[in-house]
Amino acid sequence: MRNRFPGLTFALLVALAPCPAIFAQTAPPPKAKTQAAATPDLSGVWRRSRTSSDKTRKHTIYELAFTISDDVPPMTPWAEAKYKANLPNLGPRAVSLGESNDPIMQCFPPGVPRAYLIRGEPIEIVQIPGRVLMIYEYDHFIRNIFTDGRSHPADPNPSWMGDSVATWEGDTLVVDTIGFNDKTWLDNDGHPHSEDLHLEERIRRASHDALKIDVTIDDSKAYTKSWTAHWNYELKPGWNLGEMICEDNGTYSDMQQKSEGGK
Amino acid sequence: MTNRVLALLTLTIALALCVSPIAAHHGSSVYDTKLTTYKGTVTDFQFMNPHSEVWFDVTGADGKVEKWTGEAPSLTTMARLGWTKSIFKPGDQVTFTGNVAKSGTKIMRLRKVVFPNGKEMMIDRGEDYAE
Repeated sequence: MRNRFPGLTFALLVALAPCPAIFAQTAPPPKAKTQAAATPDLSGVWRRSRTSSDKTRKHTIYELAFTISDDVPPMTPWAEAKYKANLPNLGPRAVSLGESNDPIMQCFPPGVPRAYLIRGEPIEIVQIPGRVLMIYEYDHFIRNIFTDGRSHPADPNPSWMGDSVATWEGDTLVVDTIGFNDKTWLDNDGHPHSEDLHLEERIRRASHDALKIDVTIDDSKAYTKSWTAHWNYELKPGWNLGEMICEDNGTYSDMQQKSEGGK
Repeated sequence: MTNRVLALLTLTIALALCVSPIAAHHGSSVYDTKLTTYKGTVTDFQFMNPHSEVWFDVTGADGKVEKWTGEAPSLTTMARLGWTKSIFKPGDQVTFTGNVAKSGTKIMRLRKVVFPNGKEMMIDRGEDYAE
């Protein structure tokens, strides 16, 4: 349809043209999106979800927590030799209690990421200024994950649980951990790692009751490529972490070992 | 305390002698897959990690008393499912259902208990790492 009033239209446009600028002056300033945004809240007691992703079945805690993932990449010859020498008391390669050289049998720390797996017990995340505390029910280990902007030490002392620093990427806590000794197993099956182990955990709250932890394992001395495990955790609102003392397992194991003839 | 420790040691010796060297400490393969149910009288209960143990007497039709052990998951797991250290008291008449050891040792991995007041409780073994 032809515009019958081109002159009027033109005049209106001219008159209204400054309006966006006027509106901009009077509208409230847009909300700052960086510093003022609230830190995501990951806090709570969380436990591996037993429901499969497609909701068709429930896994046992044992199934979930035996290895980091189903698809551990090929090991280097160095790691293969260590894997053969690591003798677990559980799973398809299990040996007797007396024969197992699993370091947790003597209650040495499980290291990371095995601390998440070791008996499938829950974790608790506590956020305080400058730090996220990752607390494991297993033998009450606590990791200090520094969020105050610091970097790793230039030459970290090798430790059982590593040195962790983290930053926030949107809603995700990105944890970088190095500085491990090589005395721990990566999982309950006895997969080894070297002192060069470098972990990245990406932790975010997918919904109020769901936490996702994606763990990337990078250790070229032991594995031919890095890989990522995807873990689903669910919130346990009524739970507190219980007291789980590694030495209690030892007492039970001692009794079993004696019964196996002190091998 | 000593008697209980000795009893537990004895049954683990008996059980372990029948267990193959590569069997896992916490494996379920040494237990029968079918379920057995006994009505028993509780004699003792140890609420602890890594396994909770309840000892009970089962009186057969012939009047003979068999001494059984019911093994449940850890204290931390069972506490979350409502157990306390007082949940079983000596003298309690309880119905125990579980997987009996294949070796013939009188131990069962508990799957269900019916308490004196009639309350039933299923024990989800998958809830604990020890299966």
